[in-house]
Amino acid sequence: MSDFAVDIETLRKRYSNGVEALAGVSLQVPYGSIFGLIGPNGAGKSTLVKSLLSILRPTECRGTMLGEQIGNKSVLAKVGYLPEHASFPDYLTGRQVIEYAAGLANVSRAACRSRCDMLLEKVGMTEAAGRNIRTYSKGMKQRIGLAQALINDPVVVFLDEPTDGVDPEGRIDFKNMISSMRGDGRTVFVNSHLLAEVEQVADRVAILTKGRIIKQGLVEDLTRRDARYEVKFHGQMPVSLLEWCHQQQMKIEGDRITCRADGPLQIQPLIDRLRAALVVIREIKEEKFSLEELFLQAVTQSREESAAAKGGTR
Amino acid sequence: MIQAYTILLDSLRMLRASKLFWISMWISLLVAIVYASVGFTPTGMSVGFGLWDFDVPVIREGSAESEVFYLLLFTDVIVRFWLGWFSLVLAIISTCSIFPHFLQAGSIELALSKPLSRLRLFLMKYLGGLLFVAVQTGLFCLVAFVAIGFRVSEWNVSIFWAVPVITFAFSLIYCVGVLIGVATRSTVFALLGALLFWAVTLFAQWTEDFVYKMAYVLPEVGLSVDMQTGELQETPEDASSGIKKTYQRIQSVTKVLPKTRECTISLKRLIRFQERDSMLAGVDLGSVFAGGEADPVVKEAMQKYELRHSWFTIIGTSLIFEILVLALAARIMIRRDY
Repeated sequence: MSDFAVDIETLRKRYSNGVEALAGVSLQVPYGSIFGLIGPNGAGKSTLVKSLLSILRPTECRGTMLGEQIGNKSVLAKVGYLPEHASFPDYLTGRQVIEYAAGLANVSRAACRSRCDMLLEKVGMTEAAGRNIRTYSKGMKQRIGLAQALINDPVVVFLDEPTDGVDPEGRIDFKNMISSMRGDGRTVFVNSHLLAEVEQVADRVAILTKGRIIKQGLVEDLTRRDARYEVKFHGQMPVSLLEWCHQQQMKIEGDRITCRADGPLQIQPLIDRLRAALVVIREIKEEKFSLEELFLQAVTQSREESAAAKGGTR
Repeated sequence: MIQAYTILLDSLRMLRASKLFWISMWISLLVAIVYASVGFTPTGMSVGFGLWDFDVPVIREGSAESEVFYLLLFTDVIVRFWLGWFSLVLAIISTCSIFPHFLQAGSIELALSKPLSRLRLFLMKYLGGLLFVAVQTGLFCLVAFVAIGFRVSEWNVSIFWAVPVITFAFSLIYCVGVLIGVATRSTVFALLGALLFWAVTLFAQWTEDFVYKMAYVLPEVGLSVDMQTGELQETPEDASSGIKKTYQRIQSVTKVLPKTRECTISLKRLIRFQERDSMLAGVDLGSVFAGGEADPVVKEAMQKYELRHSWFTIIGTSLIFEILVLALAARIMIRRDY
């Protein structure tokens, strides 16, 4: 059995109007992880998820999901999904929406009954479950959406912009609920453009832009890459030390020295020299790249590369 | 099985939430109660459970005509006009939004992401739409069944033929609405398209009906129409071959179209009242009021007219049409990206 819940060798989607939404995407999502797919609007995030769930037909797709070929309908019994801008039938109550999703997923009535109450409690909707869904706020609808995505006790859950339109308090709840899914042993695939949220919950991320994955890996590795240390000092720096810092490609701005370093060992020489020169060290801070910075850097780089490629072909 | 049950249950819930469904249901029940309230007195008939009396010598308590009249009210008026016409319009208005709403972004994804084939989903959703008419007609028939049982002392289950036949007639128009709804995802287009199509088929059926009478019924009873004045005139001659050719041309067009009107009219063949078959066939309400049986020649001509289409022509060709339209709609739904 593969180690990956989702293992895409290649996925391509070209619409009939010629637009290439996915240009040969390849990615792997390990079992039991929270995977964040981030990218600007129109990058192809939803297209990718919809392709995996047979909601749209990919032009070319090689890969597996839960050990079965992508496109195999039977595997969807073990998959949960909360669509972007989910629109549930407005004549149903919250509980009925969950029961409806359970029925479509072929969940027996007995199993549905027992799980429904548990999930309503989990998403904090027990009291409002009997109310018509048209009386719900956007946040409440998303909570019901999350519950319906879990009604079939899925192995993989796809959440497409789950916190879209949800208030800050609700977002914290969502973050906790997503984290608890990992605790339950589920694999969670989150599509979002809210990078800070993804960074807080995801183990792995992939950055998708213009239908291509431009970066993917463990969040820790990606943000550690290009990590910096910032050293704040007090007093006058000797000229010789200033020169040494410049030679080491460190940046000095006022009372602050910034140096690139993968770990604390690499900044020890700087500390030694500062101490030897009797410069007072006020603060040493490890500065990781935030996902947002990483994302902006990657997207900008990708744009520049494609612009250069276009220029080269002219 | 769970999936099919879920989709049908959802359809019922959707109907329950529809105001038009309840309006239609209440009007239907009202019509059924008015029908049940028709009774007979020694001097004639009464309406409103004896509230209003009318002296009609022919249709009086205990007469065969009163029983025939009561049954004809059901087959010739209620089935034909209420069930086969007004309630169908309400049903089309109510159900044309089912597919466009279902195919909306954010809604369809939920269903398509489940372990359920698109074809099955389409068919179950389609059947769910038919429930609108099936439920209403079923309830209506139940009231009529009880009313006929009490009024005519005949507990005739063949009345319930109205449920599948009226539902089938509805499905012939509904499938066009579904096709347009699936293709355009617009309720307005689906509704207008279905109603327009229905109007076209009705016009074709009325034309066929009219030309048949001109070409065959009138000559058989020794009458023809003066084309200058439009008046009926006695003539022993057979109709000109010209009008028969015209009829054949019209028939070739109507053959490929669904026959909603013919379906509802054909109910008369299915709802059988054993003892009164001879009186029902070829008799309309007018002749009942006039008293006695119709002229045997007219009666025979009318019988031929009523039976001019075989079951295959009425049901078979309509069914072929429906299957083709549904296949096209299903193909569009199955092959589309959402």
